[in-house]
Amino acid sequence: MRRVVITGLGPVSSIGIGAGAYSAALKAGASGVAPIKSFETTGFPYYYAGEVTEFAPEKLVRRLTLADWGRTSLFAAAAARLAVQDAGVDPGGLAGERAGSCMGTTGGESQVLEQLTGRALEAGFDGLEPRLVRQVSSARLSLAVNRELGFTGDAVTLSTACSASNYALGYAYDLIRADDADYMVAGGADSVGRWSHAGFYRLGALTESACSPFDRDRSGIITGEGGAALFLESLDSARARGARIYAEVLGYGLNCDANHMVAPDAASIAACMRLAHRNAGVEPAQVDYICAHGTGTQANDLVEASAVAEVFGAQSPPISSTKSMLGHTMGAASGLGAIASALGIAESFLPPTINFANPDPALPPIDPIPNVARSAEVRVAQVNGFAFGGNNAIVMLGSVT
Amino acid sequence: MTVTTLTHHAAGRSGQPSARTMAITGFGLLSGLGVGPEPLASAVRAGRSTPTDTSEMFTDPLPRPDAYALTDFRVRDHLGRKGTSFFDRSTALGMVAARDALVDSDLVVDDTTRTRVGITLGTTHGSVKSTSDYSRDTFVQPRPYLVNPLLFPNAVMNCAAGQAAIWFGLKGPNATIAGGALATLSALRYARNLIGCGYADALLVGSVEEYSPHAAWALAYAQRTWGGTLPVGEGAGVFVLEDAAAVRASRRHLDAEVLAVEVGSFDPPGPPGDFTAGFTRCVSRALARAGVAPDAVRAVATGANGMTALDEAEEAAVTAVVGADAPRLRVKEVTGEGFSVSPSLALGALLARHRAEPGRDGEVSLVTTRSADGAAGVMVVRGWSRARRDHG
Repeated sequence: MRRVVITGLGPVSSIGIGAGAYSAALKAGASGVAPIKSFETTGFPYYYAGEVTEFAPEKLVRRLTLADWGRTSLFAAAAARLAVQDAGVDPGGLAGERAGSCMGTTGGESQVLEQLTGRALEAGFDGLEPRLVRQVSSARLSLAVNRELGFTGDAVTLSTACSASNYALGYAYDLIRADDADYMVAGGADSVGRWSHAGFYRLGALTESACSPFDRDRSGIITGEGGAALFLESLDSARARGARIYAEVLGYGLNCDANHMVAPDAASIAACMRLAHRNAGVEPAQVDYICAHGTGTQANDLVEASAVAEVFGAQSPPISSTKSMLGHTMGAASGLGAIASALGIAESFLPPTINFANPDPALPPIDPIPNVARSAEVRVAQVNGFAFGGNNAIVMLGSVT
Repeated sequence: MTVTTLTHHAAGRSGQPSARTMAITGFGLLSGLGVGPEPLASAVRAGRSTPTDTSEMFTDPLPRPDAYALTDFRVRDHLGRKGTSFFDRSTALGMVAARDALVDSDLVVDDTTRTRVGITLGTTHGSVKSTSDYSRDTFVQPRPYLVNPLLFPNAVMNCAAGQAAIWFGLKGPNATIAGGALATLSALRYARNLIGCGYADALLVGSVEEYSPHAAWALAYAQRTWGGTLPVGEGAGVFVLEDAAAVRASRRHLDAEVLAVEVGSFDPPGPPGDFTAGFTRCVSRALARAGVAPDAVRAVATGANGMTALDEAEEAAVTAVVGADAPRLRVKEVTGEGFSVSPSLALGALLARHRAEPGRDGEVSLVTTRSADGAAGVMVVRGWSRARRDHG
C-alpha cells in the first residue's frame, strides 16, 4: 500500500478563494455570512447565508464553456483548478486514465432544478431551456473536474449529503493507496437554494444570522455554499517532484446509524471515530485537533461533543467548527474542513469557532477554540462529517515526517 | 430476512479470479415490466414489450402518455403500511429491490454481522420529483417556507440508501453515487474498493430510478438533441456483492463473478472521436483485468437507445475489441430509457437468463454504458445458474 499525501488545496469559500486567502481568513476568524443575494428571500423569516459572492468562474476555469455548466459544477471545477495550480502541477502532464476526481455533494445541481421548477410554473414543462435541462445531473460535478483538467479516469460524484466530501476524500485516498490511480482531485461542492433554506427552517434547524456552534445559546445552522478540492498523490510521487506536502491522509472510517434519517446517534458516531482511528493507526491521545461537524444546532453539537467525550475521555483535543465562519456548506463542508485541517497542520494553527460567547454546561467539557485562532503544532487532525441518513464519515490527516 | 440455505460451490469452474474479484450472491429487481426478474427476462427473450399507459399517474402534463412504469406499484403491498407512508417512489423501489436481494441471497444479516454490511446505491439526482416539489412549494405556498419537514430527507439524494439501512439494520458503510448512466458501474467499483480494502464484508449495490413527469421530460429534451424515440423507464436493481474468494471459501453459491469494471470520462461523443477511442481503451482494459479473451465474450448488453451518435460510438468501441459476433442485448428496447438504473436492469437480465439456462453456466458477458456528458464504462461478468445449488 502506498502512502497518500495532499499537495494542493483549492478552497472556493465565502471567506476566501484559494489556499492563501482561505488560510488568512481562518486565522482571522472571518465570517462569510451575509444577507442572501442569489435568490429572492421575500417571505422567508431568516435570510442569511454563507454565499460565495466573489465567485467569478471566468477567472478560474480555463477549459469549460461556462454556459454549459451549473453553479455547483463550476464550484467543483474552479476548486479543482485552484488545487492543481496550488500543487504546482501541469494537469496536461497528468492527463490520462490514472488521474480522476471524486466530488461530494448534498444537492448537486438542485439550484438548476429549482430554476427549471420555477420556469415550469410559468411556461410549463414544454417551455424549459434545454441548456438547463442538460445541467441537472449531479454526475456532472466530477465530470466538470475531469473535463476542466483533462483527466480521463474515474469521475465519481458521491451524494451522501453533508459528509460527502469525506467519503470522496477517503475513496480518492484508497484509489491511490491501492495503486488504482496516481492522481486524484477530491472534495465537494454545493450551492444555496430556496428548497434547502426552507427545509432547514421548517426542521427548526436554521438560525437567524450567526451560527454559534457549541455555545450555550446556539440556535441552528446557516446555509452555505462553495467548492473544496484537494489534490492527492502518492508520497513517492510528491517527493520525486519536490512538492510541498500539506499533510498525509492517514485513513478514514465510515459507518451508518441505521436508526433515524435526521437525528444523529452519539454511540454510532463514537464507533465511527474508533473506526477512523483504527484504520489510520492512531490512538486518541495522538489527535491534536478535531475539525468538528459542528452544525450549531442544539442536538447535533450535544451528540458530537458526547461522542468525543466517549472516545477521548476527559482529555479531548481542541475542537472547532468552521461552520461558524462559513455556514453549512453541505456537501463541501467536510472538504473545506479537511482543507482547514491540512492548513493547520502545515502552518501550525487551529482555526477558531467564532460567535462563541458562553460555554454550554450541558456539554461535556470541550475546548472549542473560542473566537480567536491559536498557534499550535498539529501532528494529527480528525475531520468529522455526519449527514442525513446516518451517513458518518471521518477522515484522519497527519503531518509528514 | 435472509434465506440461509448454505450450499456448496460447484467444483471445476474455470478461470483464476484476480485478487479483488467480487461475487454476486443474490439480487432483487423491479422494472417497468413488473416486480422481480421474470417479466424482464421474458421480455428480453422475446425481444419486445409494450409500455403502459401512464397518463393517469400524475396531474402534470407529460410529453407522451406511455412509459415502462409500474403504474400499480404501492410500497405498502410489499413492505406493509407501517413506516412506509412517507417514502417517495425512488426510496420505495429501492427498498423493495433491497429486500428481494436479501431474500435471494444466503447472506446472513444479524447482530454479529450488521456493522460489516452496507449499501452503495447509484442514482442520477435522487428523487428529482421530491426535490423539485420542494422547490415548487417555496414558490406556490402562501409563505415560501411552508414545505413539509417530514419530506425534507426525500429531497436529498441519499434518502433511499439511508432508509434501507434503517429498514434492514445495515450499519456498515452507506453510500450514494450520483452518476447517471455510469452510476451502477461506479457503485460497483466503489463497493469493490470498500470490500477489497476491508471496510465491509458485503454490500447491497445497485441503482434506482423513478418514473415521474420530470424524468419523462428530461428524456424528451435529450431526444430532441440526440435522437431516439424510446419511452422513459423506471426500476431498481440491487445486487448482494461479496468477496468471491470468501464466498467460495465458505462453500456458498455464486450467481456471478464481477471480473472487472472499468470506466472513463472523455469529451462528449461525436467528432473528433476521442470518446470512441477512450471507450475502446476501457473495454480493452476491462478484458485484460478480467483475464478474459475477447472471443470468450458471449453477449454484450449495451446502452443502445436510439441516440445515434452515442449508439454508434459505443458499438464502435465494443466491435473494436470483441468483434461483431457476440449477440447484443438492447435491454432499453424492452425497459425504456432508465438512466442510472439501466445498467442494473441489463445486469439483472443477464443473471436471470443464467438462472433459467444452466447451459450458459460460466459464460462471460459485458454490460456497457455511456452518457452524453462523455462518461463510458464496461463491466465483465461471469454467471451461473442455481441448478447445482441443492446438490453441490
